[in-house]
Amino acid sequence: MQNRPSGFANPWLHLGLSIAFVTIYELLLKLGAVETAHLSARWSWTGLTGLASPYVWVAIVFVILSLITWLHVLRHIPLSIAFPISQVVHALVPLGSWLILGESITSVRGFGIALVLLGLAVVAKPVARFEERL
Amino acid sequence: MTLVSLAIVLIAMVGHVAGELVLKKAMDASNASGFRSRKFVVPFSAGILLMTVQFFLGLGLLQRYDLSFIYPFQGLSVILITIAAAVLLREKLTLQLAVGSALISAGIVLVSIS
Repeated sequence: MQNRPSGFANPWLHLGLSIAFVTIYELLLKLGAVETAHLSARWSWTGLTGLASPYVWVAIVFVILSLITWLHVLRHIPLSIAFPISQVVHALVPLGSWLILGESITSVRGFGIALVLLGLAVVAKPVARFEERL
Repeated sequence: MTLVSLAIVLIAMVGHVAGELVLKKAMDASNASGFRSRKFVVPFSAGILLMTVQFFLGLGLLQRYDLSFIYPFQGLSVILITIAAAVLLREKLTLQLAVGSALISAGIVLVSIS
C-alpha cells in the first residue's frame, strides 16, 4: 500500500463525498423516474426515457462526481473495506426520502437502518487496523 | 414481476459487481503503472461501460417498480462484492468485515421490504 495522501487527496474524505453524491443522485433519480414513468412503454425498460427529465440530467452530474471520488477511493482503500462503508447510503437514502420526498419510515425500516449502521460499526474495526498498517 | 424484469434485475446486479471489480483492478494498476498503461485503460473502459449499462437498466427498473423491489438486490451485491474482492482480488477478508457486510446486507433487505 502506497503512502496515504493527506489534505484534499485524503481517500476517506473522498469516500464521504462519494456517499453524499450517491445519496443526492438517488433522490434526484427517483424524482426523475416518477416524472417519466408514463412515457413510451416500448423503450422504458432501457431506462433511456428517463433522460426526458431534467432531474435525471442533474443526477447524472452527481453520478459522475460520485464516480470520480469513488475511483480515488479505490486507488487507496481495499474494495472489501470501501464498498461496505459506501453502503451507508442505504441508511441515508431512506432518511433523505423521509425528509425531502415525504416517504414514511416504518418500524421495520427503522430497524433495517439501525442494522446497516451496526454493520458499519463492525466494519469500522478492520478499518482501524488497516489504517495502522499504513 | 415478469421473467424479463427478473433477468434485467440480475443483469444489472452482475454488471454492478463486475464493474466494481474491474474498476478496482484498473485503479490498482494506475498506482503501479500509471494512467497510460493498457493494464489501466482496458479494465477502466470495461468498468465504465458496465457501470453505464447497469445505471440505465436500474433507471428503467425504477420507472416500473418501487425502490423497495430493487433494494434487496443491492443488499445482495454487498455480500457478492466483498466475497469477490477476497477471492478474485485477493483482499484480506477478516471475520469483522464478513460479519459487518452481512449485517449491512440484512439491514438493506429490511429497509426495502418494509
